[in-house]
Amino acid sequence: MSAIAYHALVAFIVLNVVVGMVTYVTLLERKFAARMQSRIGPYYVGPRGLLQPIADALKLMLKEDVVPTAADRLVYNLAPIVFLVPCILIFASLPFAPGLGVADLNIGVLFFLAVSSLEIIGLFMGGWGSNNKYALLSAMRAVNQIISYDLPFVFAAFVPVVLAGSLQMSTIVDAQRGLWFVAYPIIGQLAFLAFVVATLAAENRVPFDILEAESELVAGFRVEYSGMKFALIQLGEYAHMIGTSFLGALLFLGGWLGPGSDAPMVGALWFLLKAMLIFLLVTWVRWSFVRIRVDQILAISWKLLLPLTVGLLLVTAAWVAARGGHAG
Amino acid sequence: MTDTLQRTTVEIGYGGSERLTMNMGPQHPSAHGVFRAILTLEGETVVAIDAVIGYLHRCHEKLAESLTYVQYPTIASKTDYVAAMTAELAYVAAVELVGKIDVPKRAQYLRVICAELQRIASHCLWLGTWCMDMGGALGGGATIFLYAIREREAVLDLFESLTGARLLYGFHQVGGTRYDLPAGWAQRCRETLDVIDRRLDEYEAMLEDNPFFLVRTQGVGVVSRELAESVGVAGPLLRGSGVDYDLRRAAPYSSYEDFDVRVPVQQAGDCYARYRVRMAEFRESIRLVRQALDGLPEGPISSRPGVKSVGQVRIPKGEGYSRIEGARGELGCYLVADGGAKPYRLKWRGASFSNLAVLPHIIPGHKVADVVAIMGSVDPVFGEVDR
Amino acid sequence: MPAETRPSFWTETAQLARAVGRAMGVTFRNLLRRPITVRYPTVKRVYPERFRGILALTYDKETGEENCIGCRLCEYICPPQVIKVEMLKAEKRNWAKTFTLELYSCEFCELCVQVCPTDAIVMLRSFDLATADRRELLLDKDRLHALGLSYEPSWATGNRLRDMQAPPKPAKPAAEPAAAAAGSAAKVSAIAAAQSTSDRRAPEPGDGAPTAPPK
Repeated sequence: MSAIAYHALVAFIVLNVVVGMVTYVTLLERKFAARMQSRIGPYYVGPRGLLQPIADALKLMLKEDVVPTAADRLVYNLAPIVFLVPCILIFASLPFAPGLGVADLNIGVLFFLAVSSLEIIGLFMGGWGSNNKYALLSAMRAVNQIISYDLPFVFAAFVPVVLAGSLQMSTIVDAQRGLWFVAYPIIGQLAFLAFVVATLAAENRVPFDILEAESELVAGFRVEYSGMKFALIQLGEYAHMIGTSFLGALLFLGGWLGPGSDAPMVGALWFLLKAMLIFLLVTWVRWSFVRIRVDQILAISWKLLLPLTVGLLLVTAAWVAARGGHAG
Repeated sequence: MTDTLQRTTVEIGYGGSERLTMNMGPQHPSAHGVFRAILTLEGETVVAIDAVIGYLHRCHEKLAESLTYVQYPTIASKTDYVAAMTAELAYVAAVELVGKIDVPKRAQYLRVICAELQRIASHCLWLGTWCMDMGGALGGGATIFLYAIREREAVLDLFESLTGARLLYGFHQVGGTRYDLPAGWAQRCRETLDVIDRRLDEYEAMLEDNPFFLVRTQGVGVVSRELAESVGVAGPLLRGSGVDYDLRRAAPYSSYEDFDVRVPVQQAGDCYARYRVRMAEFRESIRLVRQALDGLPEGPISSRPGVKSVGQVRIPKGEGYSRIEGARGELGCYLVADGGAKPYRLKWRGASFSNLAVLPHIIPGHKVADVVAIMGSVDPVFGEVDR
Repeated sequence: MPAETRPSFWTETAQLARAVGRAMGVTFRNLLRRPITVRYPTVKRVYPERFRGILALTYDKETGEENCIGCRLCEYICPPQVIKVEMLKAEKRNWAKTFTLELYSCEFCELCVQVCPTDAIVMLRSFDLATADRRELLLDKDRLHALGLSYEPSWATGNRLRDMQAPPKPAKPAAEPAAAAAGSAAKVSAIAAAQSTSDRRAPEPGDGAPTAPPK
């Protein structure tokens, strides 16, 4: 009984921390993008704009919730929740430091990848239920894109798994005590690169944001959403993005390893720092490129990324076999 | 070719049945104002486009008939509000042509300076909005947009210290210009141009050679030379299709014959070629402004006394067509005078309007994402289309 | 891209890598630059001397009388017709009985300033008169005079504008100091004359100094 209560408490804390982090990561991205564009960014609400995310959340909560007359109400109303749940659920399998996390599953990476690709269901529901042509086109594109990019994403994520010889996240981190996986010559860097590109696509960030594509499809699948439902979708997107950043930090950058990381809070801080680095890298890419077209996105995935990652995985496996054992 | 030209929409052959009609505009993030494109989609592919214009019609030609030659130049800039200086110039050039009014050399050079600065400002806006169409307001496109706007603002600052306004300048008047350069303006102008010259390299670093950008633009929206000539497009669109034609050199006005006007031409006719032409025009305009500043002659800025009353300018009966090379191409103004203080009839020939006519010929067969790229590369300003 | 000019896979990949590096380098360089935006309501940028802002009426500096003589020239020339003036005829000079200006329709073309024979109407170096009530922008004579006292006027007045535009006459009476200064400058030297008819100018190199005509 007490174990269940403990896990419930941890889950509650993690959930709230994640939601709080998501709101503040939006501020981080906005400030970062603003500076990149010779702007200042939010600065009115609170000291140096620090309360801006709260103001945004409040504004979205107070907004009128508009449901289109012709929408499929059940699907339309359900979609944001279906979209949000897997995005939050992925944090369940993430350990933030040794012993600090909801559940350190022995199939952690697999769980993460499986759950995170479930968001497409909510996305398609939203696109379909809105009964809007832009949303429908966007949902069609989303299915295309996510099917194409989940494969290279999974293959890239499996390179560290093969190197560590485990699907358990804490084991993967422990395997990097000697050398972070990103520092493995060629294999590590290429896999990390493929991981970042696939992350961009899986998170629908520019240059792969064809589902949102506001110059063509206005806002894509969420064009009809407003108020709280829109906030949920936004929350889900950012949660997914942060979750993937954490996964990247864990798989390639040695998770919570770092000077003084034996103390639990220091390890968690290192982990957060690395995840934010990946997040900023993704953001940096996002604000530097123009979007590419849907057919070109598919071509990049199937012609470049997928062969690359599959080849990498094979090479890694061969190398591990030749060395006669896993790292760490 | 003649067959397709007679039809308003060109459909590509398709055997399937499920088609989707999608409205792009009049209120749409990439509508560039108020353009409505009714697309017929087959999946992601556009099979037909029907263009609807006229949402921004403000009776501008009728307005010109009710305002005198003194008043209208301040409003002429509202036809093409992105390149307001050139619109004013076209109007006063028409009046001067019909009225046989001389313009002092200094005023002509000032007009050249302003026209070329305006071309830079207009192309800045084009580059920014075009990249935003392709790159997204939440991505790299917005970054380039803000960079380009930053440079446009620098040019507008110059205009502001020259005329006092940032959008509707009222810089030209019949017989010359209304304002002379303030102290230190030339130096500031040179410094601004140096900055823009350097920043152009940054834009090119972000766009050129970038495969993401190239695949979006190369081979997209190809306007063949024949199509360009038969539809009657003008400006960078025409030069991007391999036609070496620029009014600044073909029919020099306002002392352009004094300058060494080099006309960039690209053969491919696709979006990338138009991009190359405009980027080259940026640099050409910078060079021309520097030339004009170097050779700026002395003397009066107007051949007529300063305006004291509303009906001060009267021109004899007659009619004439003045044409200038605006940022978007040939900007023409046909003026019929009846000897009074107001024109009897005025007709604008906006380059945006004739350039838009090419859309139904080139868009079918492309993806939805290409529609915005093509429309952005045509660079229409709807104030000029609808007038 | 035509098939024959298509580069090899490795060339393309190398090109991609370089392009990614260049684009991200540009954004990084801009990350280190100072933002150019101004925090508007608290910080205001410097408006240039000729700024065309809100319109206002002026008083004579010496006598303290209103400058406006109610001649209605501005009313006639205003393209959007936002000015209405009634004249009050009097002994020595005329006055404006009423003077209303609908600022919400004004397009700030400066033609009213241009034609004013007594420099009575000017533009101010300020534009922020935002209000929730449209009627507050219907300015009457008192309001216009009050505005003229509370903001800094821009450089342009009717006489200055007309002097700047007028072709210099050989024997121009030195009625106005600015014109006289410009006129004498024209005689002094070619370079100083390059500074043209605008007033308040210090000679400076490169400001339209006569050089060889470009060819």
